[in-house]
Amino acid sequence: MRFSFTEEQLVLRDTVTAVLADWCTPGDLHELYANDAPDAGRSHPRWNALFNLGITALHIPEVDGGLGLDDRELIAISEAAGRVALPEPLSETAGVVVPILVASGAGHHALEPFLDGGGAATLGGVTFTPSGPRIASVADGHRVRTSGITQATASHHLLAVSSASGPELHLAVTADGDLTRTTSLDRTRRLGTLTWTPTDATRLATGPLAATLLDQAVNRAALYSAAELLGLCDAMITLTAVYVSERKQFGVPVGSFQAVKHHLAGARVKLEFARPAVYAAAWSLATEHPSATHDISLAKSLASDAADEAARVSLQCHGAIGYTFEHDLHLLMKRAWALSAAWGDARSHRARLLNLLQAERSVLPS
Amino acid sequence: MNVVVCVKQIPDPAAPQSLEPSTNTLDRSGKLILDDSDAYGVEMALQLVDKAGSGEVTLVSMAPNGEVAGLRTALAMGAAKAILVSDDALKGTDALGTAKVLAAAIKRTEFDLVLAATESSDGYTGTVPVQIAELLGLPSITFAKSVTIDGSTVKVDRQTEAGYDEVTAPLPAVVTVTAGVVEPRYPSFKGIMAAKSKPVDQVTAADLGFSAGDVGAAGSGQTIFAVADAEARSAGEIVVDEGDGAQRIVSFLEGLKVI
Repeated sequence: MRFSFTEEQLVLRDTVTAVLADWCTPGDLHELYANDAPDAGRSHPRWNALFNLGITALHIPEVDGGLGLDDRELIAISEAAGRVALPEPLSETAGVVVPILVASGAGHHALEPFLDGGGAATLGGVTFTPSGPRIASVADGHRVRTSGITQATASHHLLAVSSASGPELHLAVTADGDLTRTTSLDRTRRLGTLTWTPTDATRLATGPLAATLLDQAVNRAALYSAAELLGLCDAMITLTAVYVSERKQFGVPVGSFQAVKHHLAGARVKLEFARPAVYAAAWSLATEHPSATHDISLAKSLASDAADEAARVSLQCHGAIGYTFEHDLHLLMKRAWALSAAWGDARSHRARLLNLLQAERSVLPS
Repeated sequence: MNVVVCVKQIPDPAAPQSLEPSTNTLDRSGKLILDDSDAYGVEMALQLVDKAGSGEVTLVSMAPNGEVAGLRTALAMGAAKAILVSDDALKGTDALGTAKVLAAAIKRTEFDLVLAATESSDGYTGTVPVQIAELLGLPSITFAKSVTIDGSTVKVDRQTEAGYDEVTAPLPAVVTVTAGVVEPRYPSFKGIMAAKSKPVDQVTAADLGFSAGDVGAAGSGQTIFAVADAEARSAGEIVVDEGDGAQRIVSFLEGLKVI
């Protein structure tokens, strides 16, 4: 297995990092917190700056007008998005929904919004459990209420419902349903409930295909949460290291005390152990390696653990200032808490890993 | 319309820099990137070619070690091809020598207009573009804050201390652009991938007809004898407002000629 990045993959990542430096500053995030109207939309100029790079078309094959790239390119980009706590569904659109649309065999019409329509999409109506995805809503010919959707103001949502004939996967247009916002810890993730009507036009897949796609979608959501967590971890540790180098007590920087620097070193070690696991999982997913599910659970459990540790240590080392609303730390920490628990926390991914190891010893990576 | 853009690949200004102790020149042995100030010329060129409806943008650069990283950035933005002059014999070349090399490289391609930044972010001489114009026997206009093409004429709003002058010149011409001329685009993923396969014509000093002694340290009219640290900035002036605060601010700004 070789999963180090190519020169080109790094150039793609650095290009996104440059765009994010212009379009997603801590000041922008503070402003989002300050102006948190229930119907607050996403920033269209910011989304368009990212969209125009072609990120959402990354997974779309070249014959369909996309770039024909895969998770080996996107994983580093998601990490960069995590580093600035990007309040846009970039990973969800490019890493979860679009690849599932491609895998579902959906035609050009479904892909069009993500090629040049400025479309953004997230996954909803399903949660992770160690024994498989759990669908929350039943389709009974009426309107369905799907709650707990993140980045609910995105233009599209990939939604799961269960019907008499098994699971179903739909691509719903947000504007065709009724959206209500829900208060959330990390307000920049914009939780919401969408009331929508499953129709033949929205249906992407049913039965066994829907079940397979749903498995893939949840795995993807877990992997890309892990990638963003790497960036968040890095940002929290860096922010804290700078702070403890400047903040003085007893005439010296507090970071010179072992009680402080060992905390940060411990968090950094956890991050550096999680990072290759996340990259390896992206490689497995992109190359359809049989260990992909195993690798994703390993990646998510390590990344969630690393993020929990980095958040705890950063808060502690910042002292009282870290608890304030005006400081940048909470922008990163709240996102880290949310993503650490999203799509399976460390404990449930370890539980799935145990199930897999017991059942599939033969597919461990060689 | 064909536009040549002179671009410089420089050591990353965000990384620590060092001078070579033997020559007191900037160490350029590491990875080089596209000078930020050149992104404006590239963007302007792309927009002019787009507007004209035909033609292409060609990059011309001189850099050590066959460096193309910065050129790839500009190719990813949309330039069609590049000419790179890279040769150990060029080490230590001064501004006039650089202009001679770039002028010779520019002659290798068809062009209606040559664009450059007003100055590089690592050398700051600001003399190379006008020297190129002289060597090519072309008119030159500096400090453009807007560039338009009207038939066979280039119209430039030339930034001055007090405002701007409207200047025109017959094509072909050399124009230097300021950072205000246009907003450079981000290279798209498609552009980045396409840039890999765009042609970069790498040539040596000999290919351009120069012999040893014409260029490089030997052909250079300058020698750096010593380098000293810049003076530390002095503290600012503190003015206590005794009712004349506003006036003091206005006269200070007038002194700087910004109002």
